[in-house]
Amino acid sequence: MKKNAVGVRHRNELNPAQKVVMWLFLLVVAVLMALPMWNVIVVSTSSTLESSRSGVVLWWHEFSIEGFKYVFEVSKLAKPFLNSLFVTTVGTVIQVLLSSIAGYVLIQRDLPFKGFITSFVMLTMMIPGDLTMISIYQLNRDLGLLNTYTGLILNGLISGFSILLMRNYFESISFTLAESARIDGASEMRIFAGIFLPISLPGLATVFFMEYVARWNSITIPAAILTNEAMYTLPLKLKAMILSTNSTSGTAQIPDNAIMAAIIITAAPLLLIYVFAQKFLLSGLNLGATKE
Amino acid sequence: MKKLLSMILVLMLAMGAFAAMAAAEEAEAGTVRMLAAVTGGKDEEENILWAEALSEATGLNVIVEKPASDYDNILMQKLSAGESYDLIYINASQYLNLVQQGALTDLTDYIAASEILSNNVPASEWEDLKVDGRIYAGFNKRELHILVGLNRVMLEAAGIDYTQIEPTLDGYYEVFKALREANPSKDFYPFNTILSQNWDLQPWMASVGLKGGVVVDEDGQTYVPYATDAAAPVWEWLKKLYDEELLDPASFVDATKDMRNKMGAASKQTAVDVDWAAWAGLHNANAAADGVSVDEYDIVTLPGCQTPDGSYSLHKGSASLFAVPVNATNVEGAVKVLEYFATQEGGLLLTLGVEGNDYTVSDDGAYTLTEIGASHAMDHGAPVPIYTDFVNPIGLNRGLDTALQYLDYASIEKIIPNEGTYKEIVGKWGISIVKGEVDVTSGLESMRNELVTMGVCDK
Amino acid sequence: MAEKTLNPQKIREENKGKKLMMKLKRYRFIYLMLIPVVVYFLVFSYYPMLLGVVNSFREIRLLGGAAFVGWKNYQTILSSPVYSQAFVNTLIVGAGTFVLQFAWGLLLALCLNEIRRKATRSFFQTITYIPYLLSWAVVGSIWITLLSPSGLINGLLQVIQGESFRKVVFMSERSYARGIMIFTGAWKGAGYFAALFLAAIISINPTLYEAASIDGASRFQQMFCITIPAVVPTIKVVTMLGVMGMLRNFDQIFVMANSNIMDKVRNLLYLIYNEGIVQFKIGPASAAACVVLLATMVISFTVRKLIKYDQIG
Repeated sequence: MKKNAVGVRHRNELNPAQKVVMWLFLLVVAVLMALPMWNVIVVSTSSTLESSRSGVVLWWHEFSIEGFKYVFEVSKLAKPFLNSLFVTTVGTVIQVLLSSIAGYVLIQRDLPFKGFITSFVMLTMMIPGDLTMISIYQLNRDLGLLNTYTGLILNGLISGFSILLMRNYFESISFTLAESARIDGASEMRIFAGIFLPISLPGLATVFFMEYVARWNSITIPAAILTNEAMYTLPLKLKAMILSTNSTSGTAQIPDNAIMAAIIITAAPLLLIYVFAQKFLLSGLNLGATKE
Repeated sequence: MKKLLSMILVLMLAMGAFAAMAAAEEAEAGTVRMLAAVTGGKDEEENILWAEALSEATGLNVIVEKPASDYDNILMQKLSAGESYDLIYINASQYLNLVQQGALTDLTDYIAASEILSNNVPASEWEDLKVDGRIYAGFNKRELHILVGLNRVMLEAAGIDYTQIEPTLDGYYEVFKALREANPSKDFYPFNTILSQNWDLQPWMASVGLKGGVVVDEDGQTYVPYATDAAAPVWEWLKKLYDEELLDPASFVDATKDMRNKMGAASKQTAVDVDWAAWAGLHNANAAADGVSVDEYDIVTLPGCQTPDGSYSLHKGSASLFAVPVNATNVEGAVKVLEYFATQEGGLLLTLGVEGNDYTVSDDGAYTLTEIGASHAMDHGAPVPIYTDFVNPIGLNRGLDTALQYLDYASIEKIIPNEGTYKEIVGKWGISIVKGEVDVTSGLESMRNELVTMGVCDK
Repeated sequence: MAEKTLNPQKIREENKGKKLMMKLKRYRFIYLMLIPVVVYFLVFSYYPMLLGVVNSFREIRLLGGAAFVGWKNYQTILSSPVYSQAFVNTLIVGAGTFVLQFAWGLLLALCLNEIRRKATRSFFQTITYIPYLLSWAVVGSIWITLLSPSGLINGLLQVIQGESFRKVVFMSERSYARGIMIFTGAWKGAGYFAALFLAAIISINPTLYEAASIDGASRFQQMFCITIPAVVPTIKVVTMLGVMGMLRNFDQIFVMANSNIMDKVRNLLYLIYNEGIVQFKIGPASAAACVVLLATMVISFTVRKLIKYDQIG
């Protein structure tokens, strides 16, 4: 659409044809991406026998909440749920704080060795788990972290991923703010906590959520350092339910509706937090978006 | 900044103190540390009860550690960190690898000296474990066999009496054709088997007298019978089933779970499969639990095709074992636990579970499962224990009892360290042959070549 | 005044040194802030990594000690045709997934940004994010079912092509194998990339759009002239993240591959697991993992230079 006869168009939007394409795309993608979750919901609330129906089931044959009952009464997911909630929340809060500090360091103009520090951080993101698998267990044992909440929180406490993301968000903030504050004699801590953090709320929310998901779903570390069932986390239990390794000669398996119910219980908190984080993102955005 | 750091520090210290309180108890004399994958209680509380029951029965202090998942990784991590366990749960392939690395204690003499272990366990089972004449592990459970499962109700609807099926490839072909005529639906296939994982072909390969896995010939060379030209008739038979839409094409990609779902009472999308003996019972029990009567749904079992010499040949699960690592501190205690597993009482602990928690015994000796026990489906590590004369006082699921009468026809395959590679190669070329991407002769030749190149067998 | 005939080179160096000292002094608090991060990475990343590298030069017998064997483990894996094939597979599937996921995510973010009602946008954003929340064990089996002979795709094809149609077993077609892995991989991660992009798009100053609008730029033109340039920093981060994670895909192949397509999709991590971990071969497994690390480093640092990752800020 070229210059409009009315001058400025009343609303700044796509033209109708583009809109149709856009909505079509969104709809197809949404259906494609919602399908599995819908399947999970339907199967989780089907009766035990019906839940073993083959194929992708998209509607109920027989509604039942047996699956959820099984999950709490037989699989006892309540305790693992609380464990996960505790270690994930504490771990992620600390992580976001530390990562944003590191991200702040990385945006300092002409900071000596900045490239080296960036490489130092990036390299940690490239290490394949298989390389450290054996030593990470020994390390945790030697630090006395086996079967402890501290161990669950400490492993993965800082990730290169969130540092890079925070760096990215801080970069979009006008650096002159910091410079003028520095001239006014504000301490680094003041500049960081008083100027950068509040202004980067959307970024903090995003990083918080991304890391929350990663930490919530992590399996390798908890599996390695936990043998005490009282401390099991939710994804550990879920994986054990899905890939039930019950012997080679085939024995009773956990019913599908229970597995699907467990999947919902595992994913639900993440969805809730995401919906919450989005609101936060949207409201936080107009406060200080000062993109040069 | 300092405030923040000190806050974090305080938080970490607090967590550390919290952790110290939860620190594991010290090991003491008479302690047996077990690392188990499936054996034991089903949740935290029950696992404690289970270990207590085992401790009481053996006079030891048994500690059972059960990693939640990724057992193979964890086992490797713990062993390479030098953790000391007295018993570790392993499968047959891991057994061979660990023996080769010299990581397991030789138990041959302990077993010979133990009356329980020599008398209560069939000699043939011990024979299967021998590596150069020595034995390095004891049994977790008795392994069952894989056989043909059939939906009796669907067969009868197609006019077939399952007891009258001719035990040949042609006989089963006729059964599938009749089933197809009775059920023309596109979603239904008479037969399903997991070709991608080279899931059991033994009931069919029996017709040409071949045994699965790797076999040693007279000259001491290893070869894969399924890859020989002698196996061609069976592969051609499978191809015919595929071409005539009697074999579910999803067999190329399905996992066991998909196959079971199709066989189950809710779907009934297939009428004949090949599965573990236990599954005949489980299918029936699942259906019964949902109120489906035996007249609507009933899974029965058959041993498949007859061998050229008129017998049957079935595949038995390779062992799940408990081994004693070389750094174990209490080998005698470990052997005591293995002995207990090979008794009626130990068998009860491995199947029904813990008395008072999973089941109760009334004054007149009648066993009843509690609600908890029922939900654990009589499996606390071993659906059928290794003890030869074990009697399950509750009784077995319908279908499993009759399936067990074919157990004598079953034998294990030779234990090889790279079982995954074997399955993948046979599966890949097998599927190519069945789909008609290659002809049988050249497909089998490629299969043989790749098996040799990848170090699965000698020729 | 011989000592005063200063070598200009020397002056520059001295000045440089002085400047550096000054800078270091100026930034001393900044460096202090970095201490917890550095300590953490040294203990939990670099130390285990070092041990892993050491292991790659050793032959290890569980519970039986270890001996240094030089490059033997590396020779073992580098001479194996399976490893080179897995390397190719890893690169193709990894790069393909990244490119598709990137395009899909960006397009999605742009579309989501056009939705005016917050509730609607939130709804679509959440839905498209769901696959990222579920593990491969869950979504992998769902895709296997969707693509199976009795699945949705075959059902659709049958409707289109009529009764004569013979069902396609997609997951066992060797020519589709990589495509399926790429598609499902991108499908799972697109919502996640979109969320990253959207967070950046949202923080673009709205006055920029107003100004452009007054200048007569259509919304479509604005996308290219304002939105996309504004998310370039994020695009760089996402590219770096994608590249660094490219070689580290295990779960998807573990869940979705089957024997007929395995040699088209089997990747390095899967191979390390099957050949190393399961068979207790720590030495070769560590060596292969080192190769993965090295390859990732080479690729990442090349990309980092190519996209001028360090140039902003």
